[in-house]
Amino acid sequence: MGCAASAPARQGRLAGMNQDAVETFDSKNLRIKLVLLGDSGVGKSCIVLQFVRGQFDPSSKVTVGASFLSQTVALKDSTTVKFEIWDTAGQERYASLAPLYYRGASAAVVVYDITSPDSFQKAQFWVKELQKHGSPGIVMALVGNKADLEESREVASEDSQAYAESNGMFFIETSAKLATNVNLLFEEIGQRLPRGQPTQKP
Amino acid sequence: MASSGGKDSSSPIDSNGRVGREHSNPEAISALYEDLFENDNSERPCYLPDSGQEDYSGDGDGVGDGDEDGNSPREIVQKGRGDSVVEEKGELNAANGASPEASATQMNNDSRESGSDVGTLPEDLDARSSTGNEDEIQEKDHEFNFRDRVRAESSSTERLVHLDGEMSSDRGLDGPPSPTSSQGGTSGYMAGSGSSSASTSSVSGVEIGTDQDTEGIGSRKEERGVWVPGKRHSQEDDSHPSWRRHKKHFFILSNAGKPIYSRYGDEHKLAGFSATLQAIMSFVENSGDTIHLVRAGDHQIIFLVRGPLYLVCISSTDEPFQVLKGQLELLHGQLLLILTKAVEKCFLKNSKFDMRPLLGGTDVVFSSLIHAFSWDPATFLSAYSCLPLPYVTRQAACGALQDMTDSGVLFALLMCGTKVISLVGPRKASLHPHDLLLLSNFILSSDSFRTSESFSPVCLPRYNATAFMYAYVQYLNKDTCLILLTGDPNDFFHLKECRAQIEIALRESDVLREVNNSISRGGLRIEDLPDSEDLVPPEGVSSREDRSSGDGASTSAFNSVPGAGGAAGLWHFIYRSTYLDQFVASEFSPPLNTRSAQKRLYRAFQKLHASMHDTEASGPHKMQYRRDENHVLLSWRNSDFELYAAFDPLAEKSSAIFVCNRICQWIRDVECEIFLLGATPFNW
Repeated sequence: MGCAASAPARQGRLAGMNQDAVETFDSKNLRIKLVLLGDSGVGKSCIVLQFVRGQFDPSSKVTVGASFLSQTVALKDSTTVKFEIWDTAGQERYASLAPLYYRGASAAVVVYDITSPDSFQKAQFWVKELQKHGSPGIVMALVGNKADLEESREVASEDSQAYAESNGMFFIETSAKLATNVNLLFEEIGQRLPRGQPTQKP
Repeated sequence: MASSGGKDSSSPIDSNGRVGREHSNPEAISALYEDLFENDNSERPCYLPDSGQEDYSGDGDGVGDGDEDGNSPREIVQKGRGDSVVEEKGELNAANGASPEASATQMNNDSRESGSDVGTLPEDLDARSSTGNEDEIQEKDHEFNFRDRVRAESSSTERLVHLDGEMSSDRGLDGPPSPTSSQGGTSGYMAGSGSSSASTSSVSGVEIGTDQDTEGIGSRKEERGVWVPGKRHSQEDDSHPSWRRHKKHFFILSNAGKPIYSRYGDEHKLAGFSATLQAIMSFVENSGDTIHLVRAGDHQIIFLVRGPLYLVCISSTDEPFQVLKGQLELLHGQLLLILTKAVEKCFLKNSKFDMRPLLGGTDVVFSSLIHAFSWDPATFLSAYSCLPLPYVTRQAACGALQDMTDSGVLFALLMCGTKVISLVGPRKASLHPHDLLLLSNFILSSDSFRTSESFSPVCLPRYNATAFMYAYVQYLNKDTCLILLTGDPNDFFHLKECRAQIEIALRESDVLREVNNSISRGGLRIEDLPDSEDLVPPEGVSSREDRSSGDGASTSAFNSVPGAGGAAGLWHFIYRSTYLDQFVASEFSPPLNTRSAQKRLYRAFQKLHASMHDTEASGPHKMQYRRDENHVLLSWRNSDFELYAAFDPLAEKSSAIFVCNRICQWIRDVECEIFLLGATPFNW
């Protein structure tokens, strides 16, 4: 993280970008900011594109900076949640920019690749970072992606489950390629969001 | 050439490997170097010292030896002004000595005549071409066969290459280029030089025409399909023969010798090679000097030091030193665009800092830039090009962007591929063409921008190399990309709002539809040059065709039919406007329809541009007319513009000049459609 962003990124001016943690139009319509974090190449963008557009593009496109997408989901209890999703780049040089995106977020999805123990280590780094600097009460999900590559699995789901429970997160394994559990992931986040009253900003 | 110092510093080169620098140790450098490349033993490395501490130019023996041995003619260009007269003789000797192979004869070198072309205005040129000169030559065309014609023309005070079959067959060899085969490059040309004497002006002409075919494996692949950015041959390292055969390598390393980027091969496996490069550079630095260039056979090794970073290019493509150095500088700029100059602090803290992880995923950005070095004239012209659009359409686009820059956006940029549709910035600042090139390369090479709206830190190295700006990027349709730059990292939602408004304004004024129309229409075509029928009399065209059929295919370097193309054998042109920092290039049309022919022309323009701007060897030129086995090249530079035009190798000089005037007139007529006017503070 030697390559720092220029100074303004750190001065914590929370205007513009963070106007909305959970903005409730009413108790039935939520608009929330969600951020995806994780090592590069674990499939963050693929999860988002599968969720937002129902597409999977096997060619690897390295995210630059961060992409912004939004998607509205109707939950079973007839609330609608509009997710405003920051899909961040996993490269090390963008790590110092992450606070820009997770500040004020009411949900965070930390992704790792089940075939890569290193990416699981990186996921734990992000969890700690969010616990330290994220919004209080942020809904966190730990996601093991590439579940379709079961034969090359290197991270046991029991370990991840145990880690998630000890950190107050929920855990799910997804496959962006096969669309397995992707919608479930976001619906589950929607269920866990606090209702009725806006969350407190830090 | 390689010297940044003011004094003449010349290359202490000769083909026996003598390095004219007494206190240094040439054997040491040779020893280091021989590990890197397998080379002909007769071609030892040499290097150019940085400063003019010592004057090497007196080493007449070295010059003589080199030339008598038929040394590569390029090296002559290295020498300073002091011994230019000696070189002049040497060059002619070398050319004559090589003539059994290359058959390049140079006759009647009267550069003073060409000197009189200097600074001629269009009117003068018109007058000149309408004098007896043209008629005389055309008359002779009817009477003589091609070989006679060359002599006839050269007796009318022009230096010409004598083309014949042996030369073109020599070119066709597919093996690795050897020093001897490159002698075919001793081409005829005529140069006018504003400041230099008649004898020096001929020296720079030697460089052109040695264009061996291009980048080997890579370019052959490219001919088959669309080029895809990304690293090639990533499994290779310096022990692979195939790695050594790549024609153009680029390396970035730290001053501790850690690899940062390599065009080919795996950086980690190249650690030993990087250390060797670092050893060469620090060896010279230890003596208080800076290494710029090593020549070894067909290879040039160019070094650039930027803070704690070393950039190295190893090339056998025969591009001029200035061009390759410019490419290294752009490569450094691209690195700064991604990381800013702040990255240098990491090296202050820890000299063994490993920068590789910080550049993760950027191979495509660098490889796409290096690809542009061979295809995009913007890389050497220091200018950008615009998408041709009706004036009102571009005005509407500028208007839509202008509204936003009043609301806090620093630069607003609408682009279509590498071409600018509209660009609006603060009144006092303009976007440097290099920043624009690097930014558009960064955005175009990263596919993720195409999938969704993005917000990314970027640094514009010429604008401010120490800080990030933030770029909002959104493709409005398949080709059209809107880029909004701001200094505030929290500005995303504001920029998103701006984008929505701009998009509405652009759709209302039909800009996007006009953009699509323009894409399908394409750019300027040489066939469309106005009044082209009047330029060359029908008999002129037919006589040219007669000649080529009479001499057989051997006179033509291309397999295509000579005589195709525009007026007077015009094949291609590039026009650069000095005030606007913009250029326009004609579309490639037959006979330039193969990638290799296009690349050969591109390289020839690169050399021509370098020699036009060369301030050391022979002074900057105002006008040049060159003929080699592939093209006739004409370039013309004045305070308003630079024009580079390529013609059929059999084109008449006088009609070529005439056509160039028509081009300039044509450009002026369509200026408001092909250029973005009023974009820079220089324009009023």
